[in-house]
Amino acid sequence: MKKILASLCTIFLFSNIVTSAKAEINFLIGTWAEEPLTPFVEAFEKETGIEVNIQTFPFRDLLATIEVRGNAQADDVDVIFVDAPLVPSYAVRGMIGPMDQYFADTSLNAIFAPAGIAAASWNGEMYAPPLNNSGQLTYYNKDLLAKAGCAEPSMIEAERVTWEEIVDCAKKITDEANGVHGFIFDQISRYYQLQALPESAGGGSGVCEGGLSVKGCLTNDGWMKAGQFYYDIHNTSNISPKGVGPDQTHELFGLGKIGIFVGGSWNNGRWADTDLNYGVALHPYFEGGKVVTGCNSWHIGVWNYSKQKDDAAKLVRYLTASPEVAIHYVEEHNSLPAHNSAILHVAEDPKFNNFPGIVMNLATYESANHCATRGRTPGFLEFEEIVNTSFEDIRNGGDPASVLADAESRIESSMRRYK
Amino acid sequence: MNFFKRQWMVPYLFLAPALIGTIAFKLYPIFIGFWESLIYTSFSGGAEKRIFVWFENYQYLFDDKIFWKSLEITAFLTIIINPLQIAMSLGLALLLMRKSKFIRIIRSLYLLPIGIALPIATIIWGLMLDPNQGLINGLIGVFGIPPQPFLVSENQALWCIIAIATWKGVAFWMLFLLAGLEDIPKQYYEAAEIDGATPFQKFRYVTIPQLKRTILFVFVADTAANFVLMVPMIILTKGGPLQSTNVLIYEGYRSGFYYQDWGRSLSIVTILTVITLIVIGLQLLFLSEKNEGIKVK
Repeated sequence: MKKILASLCTIFLFSNIVTSAKAEINFLIGTWAEEPLTPFVEAFEKETGIEVNIQTFPFRDLLATIEVRGNAQADDVDVIFVDAPLVPSYAVRGMIGPMDQYFADTSLNAIFAPAGIAAASWNGEMYAPPLNNSGQLTYYNKDLLAKAGCAEPSMIEAERVTWEEIVDCAKKITDEANGVHGFIFDQISRYYQLQALPESAGGGSGVCEGGLSVKGCLTNDGWMKAGQFYYDIHNTSNISPKGVGPDQTHELFGLGKIGIFVGGSWNNGRWADTDLNYGVALHPYFEGGKVVTGCNSWHIGVWNYSKQKDDAAKLVRYLTASPEVAIHYVEEHNSLPAHNSAILHVAEDPKFNNFPGIVMNLATYESANHCATRGRTPGFLEFEEIVNTSFEDIRNGGDPASVLADAESRIESSMRRYK
Repeated sequence: MNFFKRQWMVPYLFLAPALIGTIAFKLYPIFIGFWESLIYTSFSGGAEKRIFVWFENYQYLFDDKIFWKSLEITAFLTIIINPLQIAMSLGLALLLMRKSKFIRIIRSLYLLPIGIALPIATIIWGLMLDPNQGLINGLIGVFGIPPQPFLVSENQALWCIIAIATWKGVAFWMLFLLAGLEDIPKQYYEAAEIDGATPFQKFRYVTIPQLKRTILFVFVADTAANFVLMVPMIILTKGGPLQSTNVLIYEGYRSGFYYQDWGRSLSIVTILTVITLIVIGLQLLFLSEKNEGIKVK
């Protein structure tokens, strides 16, 4: 009896030791990624025996949490979601470490599209491989356009719609008394989407060469034209409504209250259950200007203060280098891939040649050919926040020239920390 | 046993838990905040460097027009919101002192805002003030008033925040004033009535002097609370439009948590702490009783 008890105790203790020795890593992600990633994280756990604790946060809270944990140099984080333009910022501040060594047995070019690798790198080192990509398109309400007598925007490059044509048509559609507006941006007052305006007008990304200054780069003619355009659509022609947040724009379009909606490929699945009669076309550009669209998306990096960097890197590689994850994102979530296999999948599967699947094909085309990488600067966090606020101020009636001049001076002041 | 015979120590023993708490959770963070405001964090050359720069962060701040605009908005908000909330709380407390068989129900109704957390109240008010589909625009439309932009207008946003904070705060401060009113002996009012005092004279010569200490407490606590009011700014306006709601505490929060410029952030917070102490000191100076008691002429 004693022997049996002793054996049971030994087994119990041993199992506890085994349990406590089991590797466990903490993974900080956006709430929107929990559903797509969970099955793959579970598969990773089974395959490697490494336990993964997923912690989810809404967009702004995720960034704030990463900043707070980074400031505390906390070692209870192992893997983080990284917004593509924040790669230099996190890298310079030592919050994420280079990952080239974890991909040493393969070629990055064999796995990822060049734009994804470029967004993942800083100073020649790859810090956070891309999970996916993004692309912007023009969605339009066929019924509202027909009622206003507008021609439908085109999917053909040679017939790409201009911002001037969009405004003309939107004016005809707008019926403020009935809450109908001609046009709206998906991610209203966000640099990610609005960067395409100054880029198309020849103003560049807003960040000067070298990434440590914005002097003259945020107040040039292109940015002034973009600022004036954004002011006019909300304050002069009133084709876009004020007081609507980025979370509401796709709902308004889905309700038939918006004529033309310029937004990301991920919106495509959102209107599947509605009666909306809509079409899709290429992204607009300024007449005589450059064709540019927003791109890049989320990357994953290893937390530099983690005590389990090797295990963390295994998870990063598993999720980013796996074609299954990338194809799942394409099929189930209308997210553009950064993985070569998934890009090929979109190009070869015939369902992506017809509406609504063609959205993925068009967005992949836009991203591959007209991608405007967001300003590359270690001060992107400050830059983006101030630019976003400035766009919102312009939307609410602020004079574009003085708002942009203020923003430039403020960002320039905050950049002194990186010079 | 000798220990307890040292009677001078007894009050300190009783005070010790509160003092330790005050030092650990109030004075120490203030000191750390001030110390960190003298540090400049540089990422020059790709490595983090913490440099002690004396008052350079303050110098940058004083050259920054955003800081001055923020200070101006904070001052404006303080001047408007504190007297407004106290006047409304007092008015409400006086109304609720009146005798009525429904007084308990009415009092409970007025206390409802206290039970709603400020972030939730802010979100609900945000929905009601929505310029496109908000309830308020629907209501004023009934009277032929055109839709208002409210939170997206440079001229209206701060007033909307004052209204939200007042709706939330008035009931809370009213509780203290109500308790103060209940404490005023009825004989004073009876004596005033016998002397033929009008209702206004009773208010001016009995209620206000008797309520002075309570009003002083409410004034000081309300001022301190409103200096750190930023939930509506975080949830609804992000300091805009055009910085019209960018109060100092929000600018400090944004500098720290959005821009990671802790030197700037803590310089702002230190300045705000000093301003709060000065304003509260002035309130104490001008409003406090000097233990005069009731003067008999």
